[in-house]
Amino acid sequence: MPAVNTKSDKMLKRAFFYVGMALLLFICLFPFFIMLMTAFKSSEEAIATNPTFFPEQWTLRHFVDIFNPDIFPYLTYLQNSLMVSLTASLISVGIAIFGAYALSRLNFRWRIQINASFYMVYMFSGILLIVPLFKLISGFGLYDTRTSLIIIMIVQTLPTAILMLNSYFETIPKDLEEAAKIDGLNRVKVIFYIIIPLSFAGIVSVFVYCFMVAWNDFLFASIFFSSSENFTLPVGLYSLFSTPDYVWGRMMAASIVTAIPVVILYAISESLIKGNTTDGGVKG
Amino acid sequence: MFKAKKETSDGKLALILLLPSALLILLLIGYPMLSNFYISFFQQSINPNLPSEFIGFENFSETLGDAEFYKSLGITLLYTLLVVAGSTALGLYVAILFNRPFKFRKLARSLIILSYVTPSISLIFAWKYMFNNGYGIINYIGRDILHIFDRAPLWFDNPTSSFILVVLFAIWRYFPYAFIAFLAILQTISPTLYEAAEMDGANIWQKFKAVTLPAIMPVMMTVITLRTIWMFYMFEDVYLLTNKVNVLGIYLYETAFAFNDLGKASAISVILFCIICTLIIVVRKRVNLNASS
Repeated sequence: MPAVNTKSDKMLKRAFFYVGMALLLFICLFPFFIMLMTAFKSSEEAIATNPTFFPEQWTLRHFVDIFNPDIFPYLTYLQNSLMVSLTASLISVGIAIFGAYALSRLNFRWRIQINASFYMVYMFSGILLIVPLFKLISGFGLYDTRTSLIIIMIVQTLPTAILMLNSYFETIPKDLEEAAKIDGLNRVKVIFYIIIPLSFAGIVSVFVYCFMVAWNDFLFASIFFSSSENFTLPVGLYSLFSTPDYVWGRMMAASIVTAIPVVILYAISESLIKGNTTDGGVKG
Repeated sequence: MFKAKKETSDGKLALILLLPSALLILLLIGYPMLSNFYISFFQQSINPNLPSEFIGFENFSETLGDAEFYKSLGITLLYTLLVVAGSTALGLYVAILFNRPFKFRKLARSLIILSYVTPSISLIFAWKYMFNNGYGIINYIGRDILHIFDRAPLWFDNPTSSFILVVLFAIWRYFPYAFIAFLAILQTISPTLYEAAEMDGANIWQKFKAVTLPAIMPVMMTVITLRTIWMFYMFEDVYLLTNKVNVLGIYLYETAFAFNDLGKASAISVILFCIICTLIIVVRKRVNLNASS
C-alpha cells in the first residue's frame, strides 16, 4: 500500500536494520564467543552434555597451562611460528620493494610481459607444487629444518607482495621523483628517501599479508617437518588433536593466543592505510 | 612525457632490482611447475633412494580411470560452486547494508572481517568444538532447544553433513573478502545516479540492476574468479576440519604423502593446473586480476 512515509515507518525500518545487523554480527562472532568462553571454562564444564554460554566458574588456568612447557609445548610452536613468519615476511617485503619499483617506474624490455607473468601465480597454488618442492627441499638437505619453510614462504608470498607494492607505488606522483632526481638523488637513493617513506602504510600492509600467509601455513609445514621441535603453530596444534594433551580449554586458549598477533597486525595496517592517505592506494 | 628519452637506459638497473625476485620465483615456482610435468611420467616414491621408473602416460591413465578422482572432482566442483555463490552473494548483501552511515559502522565492519583475518587453525578448533557430536552447542541448540532435527547429525563422521559443514565454514570464513571488495566499489558510486533512477520511478530492484550492478561488475568478476581458483585448490580448511570430504586438494596430498606415489600426485597436479588454465583463458578477457590484494 503506498502509505504516507510517516515517521514511525522510518523508525520501523531502522529497527529492522539494527535487528538484522545484530543478527548478522551474532552469526559472524558466535564461534569467537564460544572460543573465548570455553577457554575460561573448567575442563569438566567444557564437555558437559548440557552446554552453557557462560562458564559457571571462570578460570584462567588454561592460559597459564599453555605457557608451561612441562605440560604443553605451545611455547616451542609459538617461537617457531614467530621465527619463520617474521624472517620470511621481512625478506619477502625487502626483495619485493626493489622488484616492484623496477616494474612500476623503470622502462625496460619485457616489462609488461614480466608484470603480466606475476598474475599467473594465482594459477600456481601451493598445493600444485607440493611434490616438486618436497623433492627440491629434500634434495637441498633442508628436510625437517625451519629454513625450508622460511624459503618456501618467501616465494609463496613474493609475487603477491610485488603486485601489491607495485600498485602502491603507482599512487606516488612521479613528479616527486623527478624533483628529487634534479636535486641529485640517484635511483637507489630515490627508493630509500622517497618511495619507502611515502608508501610506508602500503609496505606495512604487504608485510602483514606475508606474515599472515606464513603464520597460517599448514600445508608446507606438514610435509617439511617431522620432528615436533620444528613445528609451527598450525601443525603443532593439529598434531595435539588426538593426544592426551587435548583439553578443550587449552586448545581454545591456544587458539586465541595464536590469533592475537595476526589480528593486531591487521588492525595496525588498516589504521595506517586509513590515516595516511585519502585512498590508501588500495585497489579493489 | 619523459619516457621516450630513457627508453633503454633503465635496463641494467631493472635487471639488478628484479634479479632476486625473478630468481626465487623461477627456481621455486617456475621450475617446480615444469618439473611436475616431468615427474608425472615416472613411478616414484617419497624415498629418494628408491629408483624411479619411466612409465609414460600411466600415471595419467591411472588417474583418469580412477573412480575416486571423478568423485573428488564432483565434490570439489560442488564445493567451489556453493562457496563462491554463497560467499559472493552474502558479501554483496552485507556490503549493501553497510553502504550507508549508521552508528558503530566502523566497529561492525571490523568485527565482520574478523573471521577472514583469524588464522584457520584457531577457527577450526572453535568449529570442531561447536559441532562436536556429544557436547557441541550446535547440536544442543538444534536438537534440544529449537528441535530442528531429532537426532544430531554426526557432523564429522557422515559425508553429507561433513560436506555441509565445510561449505558453511568456508562461506562464513570467506564472505568478508567479497564484502570488503564490494563495499569499496559501492562507495565510489555517486548518489546522484540513484537519485536520477528514483526520479524515473525505479524501484529497489530496478535501481540495483540499472545502477549498482553495472558499477560493481568488474569487481564481481574478479572476486568470483579468484575465489573460484582458491576454492578449487582448497586443502587446509577441509583437511583440518574433517576427513570425510575428499576434495581434490586432499586427494592430491594423500596420493603423494599417504600413498607414497609422487608420480601420480604430479599427474594430478598437471590435470588440476590444466583445468584452472582453461578457466583463466575463458574469463581472461573480462577479468582484471589486478584488482585484488
